[in-house]
Amino acid sequence: MTSFTVTTLDLEAGPVVEFAGELDSASAPRALQAVEAISPRPGQQVVLDLTGLLFCDSSGISALIAARNIAHSAEAGLALAGVPRHLARTLVLIGLDTFFTTYATAAQAQAAWPESPAGG
Amino acid sequence: METTFSALLEDSAEDLYENAPCGYLSTLMDGTIAKINATLLGWLGHERAELLGRRRFADLLPVGDRIYHETHFAPMLRMHGEIGGIALELVRADGTRMAVLVSSTVKTSANGTAQLIRTTIFDAGDRRAYEHELLRARQEAEQERDRVQLLASTLQRTLLPPSLPDVPGMDVAAYYHPASADEVGGDFYDLFPLTGDTWAFFLGDVSGKGAEAAVVTSLTRYTLRAAAVQEPGPASVLKRLNTALLKDQHGATPRFCTAIHGLLEPAGDGAKVTLASGGHPPALVIRHNGAAELLDTRGGQLIGALPDARFVEVELRLRPGDTLLLYSDGLTEARTHGRVRYDEEDLRDWADTLDVGSATETVAAVSLLLDSFGDGVDDDTALLALSVRLLGDERP
Repeated sequence: MTSFTVTTLDLEAGPVVEFAGELDSASAPRALQAVEAISPRPGQQVVLDLTGLLFCDSSGISALIAARNIAHSAEAGLALAGVPRHLARTLVLIGLDTFFTTYATAAQAQAAWPESPAGG
Repeated sequence: METTFSALLEDSAEDLYENAPCGYLSTLMDGTIAKINATLLGWLGHERAELLGRRRFADLLPVGDRIYHETHFAPMLRMHGEIGGIALELVRADGTRMAVLVSSTVKTSANGTAQLIRTTIFDAGDRRAYEHELLRARQEAEQERDRVQLLASTLQRTLLPPSLPDVPGMDVAAYYHPASADEVGGDFYDLFPLTGDTWAFFLGDVSGKGAEAAVVTSLTRYTLRAAAVQEPGPASVLKRLNTALLKDQHGATPRFCTAIHGLLEPAGDGAKVTLASGGHPPALVIRHNGAAELLDTRGGQLIGALPDARFVEVELRLRPGDTLLLYSDGLTEARTHGRVRYDEEDLRDWADTLDVGSATETVAAVSLLLDSFGDGVDDDTALLALSVRLLGDERP
């Protein structure tokens, strides 16, 4: 059995969702539910912190794309933080390395976001 | 206070015995019924006089249980002085049966002589019904699983070619390793003739598993087959597929695939291959001298997730004895025994040491590699290999 945990942090600088463990077809729905549950506001940035991600298969990639679609349809941004090497390799392989905005850490992603979390 | 309490207890002892929520039965050592409570008489539908001194406990059992009683129950009771929780059936006066749980103890006199057997009988009707229900549910689950596996394997067969066609001058081989018997896998491949001497092939991997993935696999296969005939080259074929998959999206979660699609044309004593990749792990070329290389198709994007996906096309020549191997990521994402995932470079390094000269040998070697991973392969794996026959090797 794979293990996967998702933790949502409602920080002042915007929501951060931490995915840890194995993101696959079994855990992808939970990952996506967490992003949907945030209901991002326009102008906000959702950061997916992937530092603890041990594995990500095609269903996991699908969930990351879906998370981006959800954020964008709410006129919010989405950034990946702490992308582990194995996932970075996969993103290059599937040609999505420039599709996602990525940062080394969640804090850097938040610092780089131009708009204040309140959307003002 | 204490006096009142014991008086109450004393007063109800006989009533408790007669009308307890379980049956009480005392028999002589030969099983002859000596005492029986009203509860058990009520369950059995017998009069007390019909049983006392006239019938043995074993007479209340159906034949099968009577044999069990004589061969197991009674000997165990004599040996241990007690026996508990035995499931038996009792035959009522009207011939119907009731499921019971029986416990017995032997009462001995002060000098240790066995005097009588005390038996407690619980109504096990509910418990039996529960156990029957469990058994029935398990049988149904097993039948259901068989049906699902049959459906999955039937559906899988419709998504893969029943056999590969013969390509003149080439050896071709394919392999499919399903990760689960219950679910249709998301991998697909095909090889088919286009016009003249040109052949088209593809291998890919649809995201997700099960029926939903099968729908995408089916759409992908038919689109690729049709587009390969109409479009000028592999990259524009993948563009067509991208458009078709995007039109078929439901909800936020994209249903995409990664795939390599290529054309094969005879050229000189070998073949020219043009292939395009949409986010798929790089194809491997194993030269006749043993050197292996990964075809660089980086930059090609997965198919069906982005409106303006890019695809990367490369050309190569296969000479006699050279093999082109396409594979799905079940192979390169397999966990090896040390739980480190196996990647494309590992595959290339492994292939570098191979001494193979044909598609058939290559697929056989890779399937052995997969077997060596054992349970480490937790995704479906598809392989498709094409090789130019060595001169003088005219086997059909």
